[in-house]
Amino acid sequence: MTDFAELVAATNYSFLRGASHPSDMVGQAEALGITAIGIADRNTVAGVVRAFVAHRDAPEKARIEILEAKKECGERPELSEEEEQACKIDVRPVYGARLVFSDGTPDIVAYPRTRKGWGQLTKLLTVGNLRAVKGGCILKFDDLLQYLEDLLLILLPLSTWVEQEAHREDIEYLFDNDDAPSDQPARSLTLVPPSGLEPVLSRLAREAPRRVWLGAFMNRQGRDERQLARWKDIANAAGVPLLATNDALYAGPAQRPLHDVLTCIRGGTTIAKAGKRLEANAERHLKSPKEMARLFRSCPEAIEETMRFISLISFKLTDLSYEYPHEPVPEGWEPEAWLEHLVMDAAYKRYGENLPLEVTKRLDEEFALVRSRRDINYAYYFLTVHDLVKFARSQNPPILCQGRGSAANSIICFLLDVTSIDPSEHDLLFSRFLSDDRKEPPDIDVDFEHERREDVMQYVFKRYGRHRAGIAATVIHYRSRSAVREAAKALGMSEDIPARLADTVWGNYSGDMADRRFADAGLDLDNAEIERLKTIVHQMLKPGMPRHLSQHVGGFVLTQNRLDETVPIHRAAMDDRTFIEWDKDDIDALHLMKVDVLALGMLTCIQKGFDLMRKHGLGDHTLELDLKSDDQLVYDMLCEGDSIGVFQVESRAQINMLPRLRPRTLYDLTIQVAIVRPGPIEGGMVHPYLKRRNGEEDVEYPAPSPPNDPDELRGLLGKTFGVPLFQEQAMKLAITAAGFTSSEANQLRRAMATFRNVGTIHKLYDKMVDGMVNRGYEREFAERCFKQIEGFGSYGFPESHALSFARLVYVSSWIKCYCPAVFACALLNSQPMGFYAPAQIVRDAREHGVTVREIDINASDWDNRLESVGNAIPCPSSRWTWQKDRARDHDLALRLGFRQISGFREEWGNAIADARASVPFGSIEELARRAKLPQRALSLLADADTFRSIQLDRRDALWEVRRTPSEKLPLFAFAEAAELGAEQDAALPAMSLSEHVVTDYQMTRLSLKEHPMTFLRPIFEAEGVLSCKQTSEAKNGATVRTAGIVLVRQRPGKGNAIFVTLEDETGITNILLWARLFETMRRPVMTSRLMLVEGTVQHSKENVVHLMATRVIDRSEELDRLSDMPTSDIRLPRAHHPRNVRILPKSRDFH
Amino acid sequence: MTLADARALVGDLAVFEHDIQADQRWLERLADYCERYTPMVSCDPPDGLLLDITGCGYGYDGEAGLVRDVEQRFARIGMTMKAALAYAPEAAHALARFQTVPASDEYLAVRRLGITALEAEPETETALRRAGLKTIADLATRPSAVLTARFGDETTDKLARLLGKADSRITPRRPLPALAVERRFAEPIAKVAFALDILTALAGETAQILESRSNGGRRFIARFFRSDGAVRDIMVETGLPTRDPAILERLFRERVDALADPIDPGFGFDMIRLGVARLEPIAPTQLQLEGGSVADKEVAGLIDRLSIRLGRNRVHRFIPRDTHIPEQAELALPAIEAPVTAAWKEPPEGEPPMRPIHLFDPPQPIEVIGASVPDGPPARFRWRRTLHEIIHYEGPERIAPLWWRMAQGEGLTRDYFRIEDVRGRRFWIFRHGLYGTERQNPGWYMHGLFA
Repeated sequence: MTDFAELVAATNYSFLRGASHPSDMVGQAEALGITAIGIADRNTVAGVVRAFVAHRDAPEKARIEILEAKKECGERPELSEEEEQACKIDVRPVYGARLVFSDGTPDIVAYPRTRKGWGQLTKLLTVGNLRAVKGGCILKFDDLLQYLEDLLLILLPLSTWVEQEAHREDIEYLFDNDDAPSDQPARSLTLVPPSGLEPVLSRLAREAPRRVWLGAFMNRQGRDERQLARWKDIANAAGVPLLATNDALYAGPAQRPLHDVLTCIRGGTTIAKAGKRLEANAERHLKSPKEMARLFRSCPEAIEETMRFISLISFKLTDLSYEYPHEPVPEGWEPEAWLEHLVMDAAYKRYGENLPLEVTKRLDEEFALVRSRRDINYAYYFLTVHDLVKFARSQNPPILCQGRGSAANSIICFLLDVTSIDPSEHDLLFSRFLSDDRKEPPDIDVDFEHERREDVMQYVFKRYGRHRAGIAATVIHYRSRSAVREAAKALGMSEDIPARLADTVWGNYSGDMADRRFADAGLDLDNAEIERLKTIVHQMLKPGMPRHLSQHVGGFVLTQNRLDETVPIHRAAMDDRTFIEWDKDDIDALHLMKVDVLALGMLTCIQKGFDLMRKHGLGDHTLELDLKSDDQLVYDMLCEGDSIGVFQVESRAQINMLPRLRPRTLYDLTIQVAIVRPGPIEGGMVHPYLKRRNGEEDVEYPAPSPPNDPDELRGLLGKTFGVPLFQEQAMKLAITAAGFTSSEANQLRRAMATFRNVGTIHKLYDKMVDGMVNRGYEREFAERCFKQIEGFGSYGFPESHALSFARLVYVSSWIKCYCPAVFACALLNSQPMGFYAPAQIVRDAREHGVTVREIDINASDWDNRLESVGNAIPCPSSRWTWQKDRARDHDLALRLGFRQISGFREEWGNAIADARASVPFGSIEELARRAKLPQRALSLLADADTFRSIQLDRRDALWEVRRTPSEKLPLFAFAEAAELGAEQDAALPAMSLSEHVVTDYQMTRLSLKEHPMTFLRPIFEAEGVLSCKQTSEAKNGATVRTAGIVLVRQRPGKGNAIFVTLEDETGITNILLWARLFETMRRPVMTSRLMLVEGTVQHSKENVVHLMATRVIDRSEELDRLSDMPTSDIRLPRAHHPRNVRILPKSRDFH
Repeated sequence: MTLADARALVGDLAVFEHDIQADQRWLERLADYCERYTPMVSCDPPDGLLLDITGCGYGYDGEAGLVRDVEQRFARIGMTMKAALAYAPEAAHALARFQTVPASDEYLAVRRLGITALEAEPETETALRRAGLKTIADLATRPSAVLTARFGDETTDKLARLLGKADSRITPRRPLPALAVERRFAEPIAKVAFALDILTALAGETAQILESRSNGGRRFIARFFRSDGAVRDIMVETGLPTRDPAILERLFRERVDALADPIDPGFGFDMIRLGVARLEPIAPTQLQLEGGSVADKEVAGLIDRLSIRLGRNRVHRFIPRDTHIPEQAELALPAIEAPVTAAWKEPPEGEPPMRPIHLFDPPQPIEVIGASVPDGPPARFRWRRTLHEIIHYEGPERIAPLWWRMAQGEGLTRDYFRIEDVRGRRFWIFRHGLYGTERQNPGWYMHGLFA
């Protein structure tokens, strides 16, 4: 049999050009008996790691499959010699890229011969990438000449270039040894790039002797033989060998339709109109050596040449050895010793001269492990993260940061200030962070203030250089919704069909488009067109068709040597950011290190809170505030469910859980954070946990049957009363109770992290449940455990991560508890973040006795700020009266700032504050002149009713503003004097209070004057409708009617129940609506902004009140009474989040 | 509201694309219809018509009667109409759209309109509302200088027009004919022949008027108003001005006879109007002497003449189409309609053409002897009872079926060969189906002949 290597194979990482996943390409090549497959995507190496992993894992996968099959047949789970042999994979993947040039040069496929060659290739691609806007790559022939070394080149007799947009701005980038590419040719005689096949070939043959081939293909275009003869002549003339290829775009002929559809998506056309942009036939699939030999029978040497070609390649992806960046270590120190030195210093500072035994033990254990990993320099990893944190802390003011995730298990991280959890106090296991059997590098995620994270990221780029630091990529895959939409469009279907299908999918992330979905949407699968759509969509979703690369939220890859010698670097859509071509999984597979620089809004809020406290003499605090986290007053507050604005526990579900869980320690908060999550909820773990905690149910540990240790779960689940709540508990459960090996557990972890592996999770289900049942557990318990693991897939918290978050819950609660005014102010100044709109934050602050004052041109700054209460009467309505004597900032009032006015600009706000200095403004004209404000700013100020201090209400101010010239009028400017004469009185009618309130909401999303419901109260009272307060005071089981503004609509979890929160001037009411009822009242539920609900009051044990709705009526039209404006003016564009709501709060919706 | 939101509300919502062009066409059609009342008709898109009916009440029992007539006619063709009669187009426009409170007269009605009727920029409208000015009356009673200072000239100008204080007129959508005569019928005429007789009579009337002015016409438009609202125009043009009713009659009759789409009287015409669009003094003219237009124009002229003489479907032009399927790769369209498209792609220099000059439709089956498998050409084949010995071939050129038009698994790939037989004749044949994978014994066809 002939040997043949396919060296020009595109995968779907050639984005919308290749139709098969790299793993399918490798698999098909193996099935066809091809000796080697060359993965060459278009100006990228983004897909090579996928191929590498597929190749690496193939034998193991095959073995498992055979074993599974045998098990089903009841045979012994052993492999015979032959089967063992069959599992071996013979195809050899080689990795390169297809270079597509912008200057008319035909495409060239380049393969690195050695590790050095790989570096040349990635550097070359980096050069092209940096020239183009995100996602593009603009290469020129001269670039190739600069990075020619150790590359093997196959010239293809055609160019597939399409015009691309060049990036207009240069980027600061340090290229290798000053050979920076420039538009000036490196050599003086190469001004004009060679065009046409012959000149390019001879040039290449001269520049890279014996490393150039001419690729030839027989794609059944009608003149194959004639073409081949011509290419043969050209190759002979240039003295290069001809090399047979198929220029493959997909694995098998069955993928032609998919490829055609992708071509249409790329070209923005439909299949019927695409015409000759599609391939004429289905020939561009991988072909067997035999078939290739037949096609090239007139030129067998071209086939033989492929074998010679791969024999020249010695490069493997595993050659990409990785080195952590060498943090500067003082002369004479080993990195490990230096790390230990730093840590010990910190330890003595924290614990005193005599370290507690627990601490020494932990330190010894961690140091030993770091030292044992000397070969890959773990110490440098810790020092790198330390450096980042040190940078953030050294800023003025310091940027708050905190490690999250498993880093909290490490005392080194704690002592290096990376985390604020002392693992020795919480008995966290270091082995969960770093263990011997996990070959992967450690993973430390650090959160920074969201408004200032960019500083940290730019610091990283500056510190290491863009050639050594890059953000990891995220591969954006087609999801069911996008796949259906684009495929249907390409197939020329009306937009109706994807819309109907999309409706049956809640959320965007279900990875499978089952037949049922089509049936649900009323589409007939017997219809050939629908069937085709389904097939295409299925093909797009099954291996996860990548759509494009994007940057990861903040994962940095740092190297000691040049990063661009390992992987090409791209420019991100955002200026000043660069990212690499490989994603998280790729990085894991190649054992590269990643540091996550993440953003967290709450850190910004806390920092702003600390700043305010410092400014107003309320103490100087850092994240270490009250490190023991045991102030009972703070917990008292939380137990009442008083947590609006607090980190994590502020959602409706969390607020309802607080009085039931009654947290008293930091660990309780940890559980609180972790329990209201899809994992534990769907696994049905919440109620058992609560019951056991409250002592209503005995704590018992599910036990296996003998001979297994009946207490095997006691250690694992001890802290959570025998109920698995955390991610790693579920994992360990699989190992301990179901007998998973740790690699299988790892597989489970991966499967649940990505919905793409829908197929595998099913197998794992059987394995886990059967495994547990076989060992004597109850099936029901086993099923619950698995459900929970599935739930974790979307969002599950490991214990250490929850603990890190719990600390922030505590710190934010502490500020809220002791300094409610400071908290509200900081929260408002950090918007947008969190769950609530400014109106609710302000309302909550007032209910805590905080005096809140209107925006005023003579008092406000851009930011909200605090000012002395003076002898003003304290805020009357106070729902949480006990709070008052705790508050340390009760002499501070919250003055709303100009930032609350929608559309107002920071520079105007600052200009007003600067111009005001100490002399208040006396008139609008004066304000306009001194602060140099444009007309637009003035009318916004007037609209927001900020002229009260100069005795103008909104209407008068607006009337005045509209004729006030802005700073643009030079004629009046030099006069600097009031020049507007008096004019005839327009006798405007007075503005009603209700209209003021509506306008307040329109301008600032809140009103301090009244709640809109106040004005409607007489109407509702007359109808016998209760206020929210009355409703919550009603007896259990009473049938009542209540009305209010809709704040939030939610359909959590499986969607059996819909939660709606109503608000009026007296408080809020929580409505619960069963899905069955919802379907009959869909319209009022979904559209009401003012909702009237009839139902039964239900008190829970913990005195949480719900109204179980039986009828919902839309009363939104009542809002029209508030002003004379028709409803259409009040309605605003659909808001996705309550904080975006501008006018009478439109609710947060759930789909 | 987005479609997704609407669907969330109504599960079985029927959705249609908004076809703006169709709406516009319909509005134009209604405007044509209204030209029966006055030539001064203008479209007020997207959904309105403005009619200047000054002095048109004759025969309708006054202007109000005319409005009633429009209402009745529109009701007959299934249109619901909101009409308003006012002293200014803006006022009528606003009253028809924004009137909510009834009023005893126009003056009051306009003043009771909300300020929405101003149709000002949203920003201006909000500002007016914020100032508590909510009706036109609120504005009308305030000094206009105060308003201009704040809301600009546009607002006060618009207000003035709305209040009838400034002059404004409508621009008719079509240039008015220089001359028009019309006839109305109490009972619609259902016969085309009778209608043409009336047209002749109108031509006679026209001739008298033209004669009195020493003019002739070069373009005559006969407009037939059907009682169901459809309007049909028939136009004749003459090279030289004329006013001879006999010539006009002959031209119109020929024109009507030659219509591809004959006049359909439906339930009958209730009005016929003959307009003269171009007037010229009748005087001898001289032919233009300069020639030498571009070849395209001459070709176009030739195509026009041939098409008129032979019929439009007898003169064709080939248009290339963007597809791999050979028999669909060009389309023969009537030359008079077909646009002149880009040039045809030339084959590479020195190479034989890929496509033959003549294609058989449908391809003709041939009997093939000794084809090499799986994808070689035959050694010889029999076509029309003649055996052809193949000595040269090139191919295959593989053309796959259009999978998106076929049911799953249907459709066969074709392998085309360009072949030459011993006598030097060149054919284009194909095997229908891939040997072995698609068919056991694929058929062979003759699809075309090279020169």
